[in-house]
Amino acid sequence: MADFAMADLGYVSLLLCLILSLYAAGAAFFAVRRKRPEVFASAKNAVFVVAALSTLAVGILEWALITHQFQLEYVAIETSRAQPLLYDISALWGGQEGSLLFWAWLLAMFSAIVLIQNHDQNQELLPYVISGLALSQAFFFALMTIVADPSQAGFFVALPLNATLAGSLVGNPFRVLNFTPADGNGLNPLLQNPGMFIHPVAQYLGYVGFTVPFAFAMAALFTGRLSDVWIRTTRRWTLFAWLFLSLGLLFGMQWAYVELGWGGYWGWDPVENASLMPWLTGTAFLHSVMIQERRGMLKVWNLVLVMLTFILSILGTFITRSGVIQSVHAFGVSSLGPWFLAFLAVTLLAFLYLLFNRMDHLKEENELDSLISRESSFLLNNLILVGAAFATLWGTIFPMVSEGITGKKVTVGAPFFDQVNGPIFLALIVLIGICPLIGWRRATAENLIRNFLRPFAVSLIVAIALIVLGIREWYGVVAFSATAFVLATIGLEFYRGVLARHRQYNENLVAAAVNLVTNNRRRYGGYIVHIGVILGVIGIAGSSFYQVDTQANLKPGETVQLKQYTVQFDGLQAYPTENHDVVSARLTILENGSRVGTMSPEKDYYTSPDPNQSQSTTEVAVRTTPLEDLYIILAGFDTTAGTATLKVIVNPLVVWLWVGFGVLIAGTVIAAWPDPREEHALIRARVKEALAQA
Amino acid sequence: MSTVAAPTLEQTRPKTHALGKLKFVIGGLLILGAIAYVTLTSFQSNSIYYLTLNELNTQRATVIGQPVRVNAPLDKSSIQFDNSTLTLKFDLKDSGLVLPVVYKGVVPDTLTEGESVVVEGHLGADGVFQASTILVKCPSKYETQPTAAAAK
Repeated sequence: MADFAMADLGYVSLLLCLILSLYAAGAAFFAVRRKRPEVFASAKNAVFVVAALSTLAVGILEWALITHQFQLEYVAIETSRAQPLLYDISALWGGQEGSLLFWAWLLAMFSAIVLIQNHDQNQELLPYVISGLALSQAFFFALMTIVADPSQAGFFVALPLNATLAGSLVGNPFRVLNFTPADGNGLNPLLQNPGMFIHPVAQYLGYVGFTVPFAFAMAALFTGRLSDVWIRTTRRWTLFAWLFLSLGLLFGMQWAYVELGWGGYWGWDPVENASLMPWLTGTAFLHSVMIQERRGMLKVWNLVLVMLTFILSILGTFITRSGVIQSVHAFGVSSLGPWFLAFLAVTLLAFLYLLFNRMDHLKEENELDSLISRESSFLLNNLILVGAAFATLWGTIFPMVSEGITGKKVTVGAPFFDQVNGPIFLALIVLIGICPLIGWRRATAENLIRNFLRPFAVSLIVAIALIVLGIREWYGVVAFSATAFVLATIGLEFYRGVLARHRQYNENLVAAAVNLVTNNRRRYGGYIVHIGVILGVIGIAGSSFYQVDTQANLKPGETVQLKQYTVQFDGLQAYPTENHDVVSARLTILENGSRVGTMSPEKDYYTSPDPNQSQSTTEVAVRTTPLEDLYIILAGFDTTAGTATLKVIVNPLVVWLWVGFGVLIAGTVIAAWPDPREEHALIRARVKEALAQA
Repeated sequence: MSTVAAPTLEQTRPKTHALGKLKFVIGGLLILGAIAYVTLTSFQSNSIYYLTLNELNTQRATVIGQPVRVNAPLDKSSIQFDNSTLTLKFDLKDSGLVLPVVYKGVVPDTLTEGESVVVEGHLGADGVFQASTILVKCPSKYETQPTAAAAK
């Protein structure tokens, strides 16, 4: 290891983080078992010190990235002198070692926040929560400091006392080169997009965030305190993690839409699937906990769901990091994969062991009464969400499984996922309309007619209108009339609530609507999330069923026609920018013959000292209206002849996907906003649990 | 909020319990069965063999015209792109075998730095592979390797 003091400081910080995390885990456990509060205080201090030391390590790596300390291998790979500052900063999570550090750091911060939040509550659960969080952190710190690449050295653990050992520690972000390169390679140009700043961060906040509810679930299992206290305590952590997973999905899709240049936003790529799966199980969890809170049912199921969400989050990281599954996201060939699998296996076994040992504490307080009830519809929603997650998982990992068993590699692509998840999600949409309004325990005919007759009529009218307007594809008609049904049920519910307030408190309609939402944040926030999901579905249905495209090779002055658009090619333009060269096609757009604007799709050329590293990226041009996106790719050009080949796509309704996500985020924030009613419910749950324990 | 079911109600209908549970178990199994059925059938109708060049060569007779995925090293010197028709031609080369590939459409940005390529499509009777999708696979995908000198 070459001599570089800052790198040593960074590495030693991480090593201390590992030791202190292990200490915190052990001490917290020991303290609660032997009733030694002073030991627990020391465990808490260790957690805070880990948060501080990992912040120091992140600070050092960021400093090295921003000031181009190329003697650090990670810096030499991820940054270059020409690279804009924004991408130097985001290089922290641009590569494997940095991502591990970023993950561990987030977890360390979350652990410290959990301690602060719970300084005067949940004292029975807290030691076990701390143990769980600290063990999870320790795993990530170990990956960075002491474990080797299993494919090269087996499952070998060592302190890097010499250069050979240090070189085999694949996860160490502070590896030092034995010389200082003049310049670095820089982040892959495809990653040089503002999306790089938000998509991975949101994704990580979501993945890491689910560790907190899972740690509480494990603590609840350990202590046998399996009422709804752990669920109510972590409700906002769960919403936080879920919100960021949703944001991760949104930014990922937008990024793919503008950067990858194929006209779509979702390709059922393994890593996309990896981010969707915990979102699906997390969504199921958010719903099924309501049944436990209200009726004391589905206890085991909720524990299983939060465990699945955690495991699928780690699996997502594993898939991204290991390169085991081929994907647009695959990182370099690295073999940390087996360590991830080992971690998952240990977690799963510990969970199952505890679960079976606590079965007597997990008795349901009530039983299901009727198939037509709120409980059943939630259960159905859960089965469907988990079913979708498993179908997706199956398609994602099957190539590995089949190769392992039969030696033949069989894969499936987008058509499989569309075919499976299409009907599953359609059923889910209809349930979004039914679940929140169907009666608890046993829905009466009156309840059904009151809530669903009019929405059903609306969906029939929409279906007929679509057919009259000339839409003949049955899947389009079914999808859009299902969304109309859901919007009508939610609209009816809002209308009734507003009207009731208007009559009862004599409020005007706007005040009544605002008060309705702010006085029932969780319920109406949830409805708003549902509206967002439905808007998103409208965008997805429109763009996947009704996309049209054409391509043309044009000389300057020539035009190409698609639907009501005329695209006129005015000529090529070439110019350099700060770190790349641009070739762009200047286009004039006419709609129904009248000029509506210009567009200029580009090809960007990034050159590098190493010719093998030079790369081009396609920058699409998009013109968005509420009805459709005009999406143009410069697919090829000939500078001597001055011609350009354009691919022109019209994507109907895409903007509603982004709008829907915006509404979903607003609804989640409303639902997660501190609410005195939820606080009281938590206190009641605590009292009830304390009485039960006594 | 947490007013839970009145216990009297539970006691008045003890017999419905066994039956009640059964109908939920059956309902749940039906739904899971339906999901599993859709998954398996779509899997069968959409699964494609994933072959190396050598496997493609030995199974040539059976795979002609069938959808397959082939993964092989890319011969970068063979890349030809016709701008006006967006027709891309290149060869995949592995241990003495050469597979000419034709693809129509927008070329992935990463093709030129690809070490190996995954093509999905079918092998024509003329021995040319008609690709419908190309996926570029490079070990240095998002993590570029340090230059040769930097490596050691």
